[in-house]
Amino acid sequence: MLYVELLAQGLVQGSIYALVAVGLTLVYGLLRILHVAHAGLFTLGGYVGVLVTNATGSLLLALLVAMVTVGIVGMAIYRLCYQPILDKPPYVALIASIGLFIAMEEVYRLVFGPYGISFENPPLQDVVQMFGVTLRLGEVATAAGTLLLVGALAVFSGKTRFGTAWRATVTDPDMAESFGIDIIKVRYLNFFIGSAFAASAGVMVALLNNMVEPTMGSVPSYKALAIIVLGGLGDVRGTLLAALALGVIEAFGTIYLGKFLDRDAIAFAFLILVLMVRPQGLFGRA
Amino acid sequence: MLGLGAYEISVITAMGVAVIFALSLNLITGFCGQISLGHAAFYGIGAYTSALLTKAGLPIGVGLLGAVILAGLVGIIVGFASLRVRHDFLAITTMGVGFLFVGITRQLDFVGGEMGVSGIPDSGLSKAGFMLFVLLFVALTILFSLHLKRSWMGYSFDAIASDEDTARVIGLDVSRYKLAAFAMGTALAGLAGALYAHNVRFIDPESFGFVESITVLAMVVIGGIGSVPGVIFAAALLSILPLWIQFFDEYKLLLYGGLLFAMMRFSPGGMAGLARRIFPSKTRGVKS
Amino acid sequence: MSKITNRIAVLAVAGALISGSALADTVKIGMNVPLTGFAAADGKSALLGAELAIEQANAEGGINGTQIELIQYDDLASPKEAVPIANRLISQDEVVVAISGSYSGSTRAAAGVFQSEGVPYVSAYAVHPDITKSGDYVFRTSFVGEVQGRAGAKLIGEMLGKKRVVVITLQNDFGQSLAAGFKEKAADYGIEIVSEYEYSIKDRQFGPIVTKVKADQPDAIYASGYFFTAGPLVNQLRSAGIDVPVIGQEGYDSDKFIEIAGPTSEGVLITTSLDRDSTVAETHDFIQAFEKKAGYNADMVAASGHTAAKVVIEAMRKAGTTDRAAIRDAIAQTNLVASTGTISFNGLGEVKKDVQVQIVKDGAWHHYAVIDDKDLLAPPEE
Repeated sequence: MLYVELLAQGLVQGSIYALVAVGLTLVYGLLRILHVAHAGLFTLGGYVGVLVTNATGSLLLALLVAMVTVGIVGMAIYRLCYQPILDKPPYVALIASIGLFIAMEEVYRLVFGPYGISFENPPLQDVVQMFGVTLRLGEVATAAGTLLLVGALAVFSGKTRFGTAWRATVTDPDMAESFGIDIIKVRYLNFFIGSAFAASAGVMVALLNNMVEPTMGSVPSYKALAIIVLGGLGDVRGTLLAALALGVIEAFGTIYLGKFLDRDAIAFAFLILVLMVRPQGLFGRA
Repeated sequence: MLGLGAYEISVITAMGVAVIFALSLNLITGFCGQISLGHAAFYGIGAYTSALLTKAGLPIGVGLLGAVILAGLVGIIVGFASLRVRHDFLAITTMGVGFLFVGITRQLDFVGGEMGVSGIPDSGLSKAGFMLFVLLFVALTILFSLHLKRSWMGYSFDAIASDEDTARVIGLDVSRYKLAAFAMGTALAGLAGALYAHNVRFIDPESFGFVESITVLAMVVIGGIGSVPGVIFAAALLSILPLWIQFFDEYKLLLYGGLLFAMMRFSPGGMAGLARRIFPSKTRGVKS
Repeated sequence: MSKITNRIAVLAVAGALISGSALADTVKIGMNVPLTGFAAADGKSALLGAELAIEQANAEGGINGTQIELIQYDDLASPKEAVPIANRLISQDEVVVAISGSYSGSTRAAAGVFQSEGVPYVSAYAVHPDITKSGDYVFRTSFVGEVQGRAGAKLIGEMLGKKRVVVITLQNDFGQSLAAGFKEKAADYGIEIVSEYEYSIKDRQFGPIVTKVKADQPDAIYASGYFFTAGPLVNQLRSAGIDVPVIGQEGYDSDKFIEIAGPTSEGVLITTSLDRDSTVAETHDFIQAFEKKAGYNADMVAASGHTAAKVVIEAMRKAGTTDRAAIRDAIAQTNLVASTGTISFNGLGEVKKDVQVQIVKDGAWHHYAVIDDKDLLAPPEE
């Protein structure tokens, strides 16, 4: 039973990783940018989520507001920060992104204070029993929300015209353009969706920890990079699987390897191991 | 001595260490084009090695040598990883090496674990003397970098950096050169780490974490990747920036982050690129 | 870009001039404190606490008529920054004494510099055991981790009578030294350590550990951490239906802990050095004055910053001179009622004071007990 509970905990953590990493891998797939500042958007989502919930009392509304506003901020970042340097070597965007991330964290600290903020009446704190596993409602909501969002994304990209254009652009931008697809519009859409996903993860983490702090994005800023590499860089399905796998490995690792390696080191040991065997990532195409 | 106060001396010493550290990454990332996000691990290996050797009673010279050798050896191992994975995959792999280093030192009791190592012996020189000692190594590192850049190996690095596959086609032994770059770069980082340890005299795992790796990469990129004078300037500047802008108080890190961003956004060639734009006639035709 | 750099340079020179030309008829206390970055929250409290002590002292006429000036630099809680800052405080600002409002790494690095230059240095709340080993000019007004860990063992094993204990340890110097002290005395109080888990300071989600602890079925949990890790941890333990006592330490000591953990924080016990319900005038006044100055409730870090500043001010008054050796001797002989208790130092410069046990009751920290067992709390002598 313990193993099943640990597995469940790992999957919850993995869902959060997945929501953050999907946005990152979308950006990478399209623009070949390691978008570290993505983690800053994740934090922003958490702040908006807590503030709107405290103001209105509705978590659902807060989630929507967070996703939309952060999605728009994401598009602005693309336009103002990345678009002008797309033709430069990849490390240029990487360092720019890191600088942006540091600045974002500091802005949050200056605006919202160094102590972080919490829900006045933390929602979804009740405990439920499912299949003999005890979970908090917030954890169930996190897993269900992830499933819902990722499912919606799959339907959107698979069944709609816009989705088709999007996939075409990711596969071959030049070809897509010659078919009359407005690739600029696709990029905006890409940033909107990716950032909105990160924001939803931020709200969920805020819910699980009952806390949003300026440095909340520091772990996702690098962990999500590891996940998208594991998933094969740019591959959404691979990223999802890698995120869940990492969540589970960390859950068991914390208990059984915690005396030898910390959580980050366990994750990266796994990453290095995988890359030495499969340099293109767990699910990447060679 | 030299009309400098203790503060200026400690600042110059810290700058010197940063310059060596940044130039060491410049060999790997700047010259040979291999992005590393975990370079602080080698800095840390050097710092721990020299700290523990000198604490065991050995002279500082042995400490420095041990630091260079051990960091270089581990560097070669990581270099092998660079043969297996490329580009962004390599960047993330090296980042993993950095986290692994911190994770392992945290839990290893014989290197102090979480507590780190304190009471590291100083150089036995005066503060000014140690500053000159560091500056001597800075000068040697600069000369080595400049020499390397103009050597056959430097040209080969350049070829690999611009296009690995083409370099292979024209018959360069890409693997060997990559390993050489990693060995030299990480050994130098070990030296920088050892000097850091004897300057600050307290080390703990967190001092060599991800943030430090990012900081040194920022120095190289801000300076102008591959440009020796640019990297020296950026390392010197960025290493003292937090001290220099103390009066910005609360806004200090914001300014630092903003500067990194603005530099890349508006001058992607770094300071070297900026200098070329301002003084085009002087440097025209010189590739750096 | 070059314009900006120029402007920065001009400002830097101007800044240096301003700080250099400060009135000569003040006496200067230096302070390294994290004001930006991850430790900024604690840095802010420590700084406000120290400022308060200095304002209070200046209102009473400063040091025998001379006003006190606090010169603080942001060290980002990083050893690398702390060394030049210590040198700057000593050689440029010519401070008479200095205090640390920072974490262990930077305090340990700065202590070496202050010691070698013969400037008395008092650490407010950094826990690393080696800090005071830098030499005879370095003091600490907070408990070393081991002492608090031992107090935790007494609290659980003897005062609460709980024997089967799970230990959850934060992976840093604070957590490690607490665990060492706890384990050293656990057997003496009949405590059996059922199992031990470690977590990183970056962790906020403890699902796996909580799951395993539930299976362990302990009588009590001894968990080290700071309010930002302990808040989520306690919340998650309680949500999972684990209702045995949770015992923490001074790292929990902030209203922020109660805010994060919400109602689940009720009944959590900590060993700390600030008694909220103190009837001692000094502590009582500090708590009120701090809230007025800062706009939020005092915490352990604030009280520690206040205490450290007060210790050096008191020593300067007694020494009656700006001679650093004389001030050092005066600090060594401190016997002072401060907001964190009655302070005196042992030969190593470690503080001797009582441990306060506080409990969360009705959404606030309250008095629970005092541990004053001198043998148990004896700080290390070397």
